Amino acid sequence: MKKIDAVVARETLYVTAWVLVFSVIMEAVFLLLGKWDFTVLFGNLLGAVGAVINFLLLGITVQNAVSKDEKDAKNLVKLSYTLRNFMYVAICVVGFAFECFNIIAVLVPLLFPSVAVKLRMIWYKDPDMGGENANEKGT
Amino acid sequence: MLELAIGIILGACALGAGMAMIAGIGPGIGEGNAVAKACEAIGRQPESKGSVTTTMLMGCAIAETTGLYALVIAILLIFLAPGRFVDILMNTIGG
Repeated sequence: MKKIDAVVARETLYVTAWVLVFSVIMEAVFLLLGKWDFTVLFGNLLGAVGAVINFLLLGITVQNAVSKDEKDAKNLVKLSYTLRNFMYVAICVVGFAFECFNIIAVLVPLLFPSVAVKLRMIWYKDPDMGGENANEKGT
Repeated sequence: MLELAIGIILGACALGAGMAMIAGIGPGIGEGNAVAKACEAIGRQPESKGSVTTTMLMGCAIAETTGLYALVIAILLIFLAPGRFVDILMNTIGG
C-alpha cells in the first residue's frame, strides 16, 4: 500500500480540526433551538466522518494522479469523483433510513470541509496557496 | 383527485432532484482538467510538486462544492420534500 503524502496528511488534519469545530457549533445551535437529542449527535458523527474520509480520499487520488500522465490522471480523478459521490449518497441513504440519525445533522457536516478550505483561502498568507496576498508576497 | 395531486408532487420532486444533479457533471470534468494541467506543470518543473499538489488539493475541494450542494438539494428533494408537500396539501384540504 502506498504511503500517504505528508502534504495530504497535513491538509486532512487541518480539515478534520475545522470539521470538529464546526460540529461543536452545529450541536450548540441545535441545543439553543431546543431540538437537540442523540439522533443529532449520531447524525453529526456520521456526516463528519464521511466528510473527512471524502477529503482524505480526494487527497490520495490527487497524490496518485500527479505521478501519472495527463490522460490517466484526468480519468482517475473523474472516477474518484463519481465513486466519492456514490459514497455520499450511501451516507445520506443510511442517515435517512435509520431512525437513530437526524438527516439534517447528517447533511450539514458534509459541507464543512469546503467551508474550511474557503476559510483557508481567505486567511492563509503563503504565496504557494494562492491566498489574497499571494501576488504581493510571491514576487 | 387527491392521488393525482400526490403523484404530481412525487413526480415533481423526483424531476427536481434529477435536474439538480445535472450540476454534478461540471465538477468532475473541471477537476479532471485541473489535475491534467497540474501534471503538465509538474512535468515541466518537478521541483514544484509539493506546492502544486497542495494548491490542487484545495482547488479540487473547492470545485467539488458545487456538486455537493447539488447532491444535498437532490437528497432533500427525494427524502424530505415529498412528505412536507403532502402534509401541506392535506392541511389545505382539511382546512
